Amino acid sequence: MSKVVGTSVKRKEDSRLLTGNGRYSDDIVLPGMLHATVVRSTSAHAKIKKIHVEEALNHPNVVAVYTGKDLEGKVGPVPTSWYVPGCNLKEPPQYPLAIDRVRYVGDGVALVIADDRYAVKDAAELIEVEYEELPAVVGQKEAMKEDAPLLHDDIENNIALQWKAGEIPEGVMENAEVVVKESFYVQRVFPSPIEPRAAVAQYNPGSGELTLWCSSQNPHIHRMVLAEVLGISEAKFQVIAPDIGGGFGGKIGVYPDEALVAFASREIGKPVKWIEERSEHYTAANAGRDEIIEVELAGKKDGTLEAIHVKNTANLGAYLSTMGAGVSTIDFGMMITGTYDIPYAACETTGVYTNTTPTDAYRGAGKPESTYQIERIVDLFAREVGMDPVELRKKNFVKKEAFPYQNAQGLLYDSGDYEKPLNKALETLNYEELRKEQERKRKEGKLMGIGFSTYVEMCGFGPSEVVGAVGFQGGTWENSTVRVHPSGKVTVFCGTSPHGQGHDTTFSQVVADKLGIPIEDIEFVFSDTKSVSMGWGTYGSRSTAVGGAAVSFAADRVVEKAKKIAAHELEVAEEDVEFENGTFSVKGVPGKERAFKDIAHSANMAWNLPEGMEPSLEAQYFFKPENFVFPFGTHVAVVEVDKDTGEIDLQRYVCVDDVGTVINPLTAEGQVHGGVAQGVGQALWEGAVYNDNGQLVSGTLMDYTLPKARFFPTIESDFTETPSPVNPLGAKGVGEVGTTASIAAAMNAVVDALSVYGVTDVEMPLTPEKVWKVIQEKEGNQ
Amino acid sequence: MWSTLQNNEVLKSALPGCKKFEEVEENVYDAELGINIGPVKGVFTAKVSQVDINEPDSYRLLVEGQGKPGKFNGDAAMELVEEGDSTTLHCSADVEVTGVLATAGQRVMSGVAKVVMGQFFKDIEKEAKKIASLLEGM
Repeated sequence: MSKVVGTSVKRKEDSRLLTGNGRYSDDIVLPGMLHATVVRSTSAHAKIKKIHVEEALNHPNVVAVYTGKDLEGKVGPVPTSWYVPGCNLKEPPQYPLAIDRVRYVGDGVALVIADDRYAVKDAAELIEVEYEELPAVVGQKEAMKEDAPLLHDDIENNIALQWKAGEIPEGVMENAEVVVKESFYVQRVFPSPIEPRAAVAQYNPGSGELTLWCSSQNPHIHRMVLAEVLGISEAKFQVIAPDIGGGFGGKIGVYPDEALVAFASREIGKPVKWIEERSEHYTAANAGRDEIIEVELAGKKDGTLEAIHVKNTANLGAYLSTMGAGVSTIDFGMMITGTYDIPYAACETTGVYTNTTPTDAYRGAGKPESTYQIERIVDLFAREVGMDPVELRKKNFVKKEAFPYQNAQGLLYDSGDYEKPLNKALETLNYEELRKEQERKRKEGKLMGIGFSTYVEMCGFGPSEVVGAVGFQGGTWENSTVRVHPSGKVTVFCGTSPHGQGHDTTFSQVVADKLGIPIEDIEFVFSDTKSVSMGWGTYGSRSTAVGGAAVSFAADRVVEKAKKIAAHELEVAEEDVEFENGTFSVKGVPGKERAFKDIAHSANMAWNLPEGMEPSLEAQYFFKPENFVFPFGTHVAVVEVDKDTGEIDLQRYVCVDDVGTVINPLTAEGQVHGGVAQGVGQALWEGAVYNDNGQLVSGTLMDYTLPKARFFPTIESDFTETPSPVNPLGAKGVGEVGTTASIAAAMNAVVDALSVYGVTDVEMPLTPEKVWKVIQEKEGNQ
Repeated sequence: MWSTLQNNEVLKSALPGCKKFEEVEENVYDAELGINIGPVKGVFTAKVSQVDINEPDSYRLLVEGQGKPGKFNGDAAMELVEEGDSTTLHCSADVEVTGVLATAGQRVMSGVAKVVMGQFFKDIEKEAKKIASLLEGM
């Protein structure tokens, strides 16, 4: 049997999902199930004077109505899971329903439970909330001003945190030959999974057990946090993440809504279902980004980079979300030097509360923002010193020989070879020819641009000690159990919880190679806290590097034991047994062998095992990585900007990613493509917009542009492979690279096109109107 | 024209889906409007007040409405300009909205506002003509 790791095995999940046989939260129907809906604030900031629930209670289908006051003493506030140390972090309590004050449009004010899904919506409309309007503040810079309205009375200037990392010695910036400064706004965007959030809860009043199906990226974290919020034993609380239609970070968060559904089921003693609506999702589910980043990059005229100073002012929304404090600090600030050997770096982050929906991790979580600032400023630096952006990058790259390399902020990059993917991309592009074409077009008055992003990001969360030291409330190790049945078929339990990545396929490939059995003989169990010992979730591109590694180690343990049994049966010493392609054989004795299947049977029957050996063939492994993993690569966008309309034609998109060992090129490429769509989407089309009163004016898909497939040329995607030394698979992370890299690539391309006008920045998203205005202004038509 | 605009019955028939229009104090009215245009559907209760009255040239109409889809606050400056035999009615309005009214999109909302305003002016014109022809017949 040939090895399957490294081959494009088709996704095991698809026969189920593409034929309508998936089982999503909304497919769960339980006897006597009730339906929930949340009445949400239409005011961005107001005191709740009175909530009139009588009419709703009189609705014939309504079973119960709860307000924030009804929950007092029964459900606690939902806490954050990231207490970043040393930044004077202030966490206001976030109650599942607002008690006396609402702080953003979408803040829950009442919960309605009815026996019919449509009736519950009708009944919710019967609830009238009397508000006393308060002034609202939307922007993070405005919220810090002295006269800004306070969201939380005891949090001065709405400042949630002030974090610092790194130091630049005095004189370095001041005496530098060249200093380039720019301020970038990485605007607020929505993760926009196809399936909005969902929760179904079933409480057994007899046993006191609670089951919660919920569209979560990390069911074990949901169990851990909600057990505390609800005051229920983790041992009586099962959380299951069924099939999930995407998360992109938006389903990491432990939300008030899930606590509400569980509470209602426990209170009423019947199953309760809540399915979020699309427009509700945009006001009530965590958004991403929203960071104002001011950068100063210092260096020499010859292009040598010396120091980078970054100030990030992050909009955290009205409350502190699950990972809210970590995104703009640890995730962002430790990586500000990117792929460059810059000796000095300093980052200051200020997190601010505003009257907007909370922000949390979104595909890349801090890393796209960090990559954005360094890749944008490096381009501007190259322009300032009159160097080609590729040349400047190569000059300052961390050299291949320097790995493992410690960056100025103290992170140890595991492995890398930054020129390799860059050179491959240049070859694919035919770069020199492309620059000549650009020159020709410029002479014809056409605006062509080429934009590079040579990124590195921190993935594979992570070494527990480090994660603990930075205040994350989790262990971030992973475990797997490989259970071999008497027939030789295998069930594998794994802690990371997939939501579209295709772990079932890629992890099966790992097990198939380890045990020498066909993929069809392997089934995976994920996402169920009752079946799987523990799991720290799927985010930060950690599943393969940490979860996949646990699977690999557990399979090794199975082989180790099977080998002992084989040696016993073959009556040879263990050292004389070889295992290859699913067969145990004796070195130098052809024909003397046992199949993996035979040993599976022997182990389970236990009729004749080596003395003292436990029966069965099953092994578990708990894997704690020693470091993060650092995937890298080069993304290039080629655009042409229409002078007359401001429209941007994305003509080519070339990417070469190095995500370590690629287990399945097909799914890896799929991840890159999806990531690129969301990153280019941020640069060119997407933007969540609030008006000054805190009303979300981009709350539907009529007003918020999600990228469509037809917006893109064929993405010319390729890989180089520099294995990670951190895990046995050599794998890094692939889920976020596309987003991390592509925002800067697309923006650099457009800014390059507009460089003939001396343009250094245009605020994202680059709508035709905005670009057209810039061109008009620069052409002197205004 | 001024008196047409000040006539409660005329206003009632010109306001979209107006089910109730009662003067509760001088120049302040309680109204119920049924609006059903695209995604904006529902009954709005509104307080309508006239301020800065400068008969017969101008006044401001303040509308505070509340319904299931959200709240709205309107501030309309009405100006009557006589041009020979006819009177031109100028109106410029600022409207602040919340809830679905806001999130359902500016494009949709400005469309809705235009339809509502268009209806209002058409109806006022109709009522004015009706009154004019009545006056002529007298």
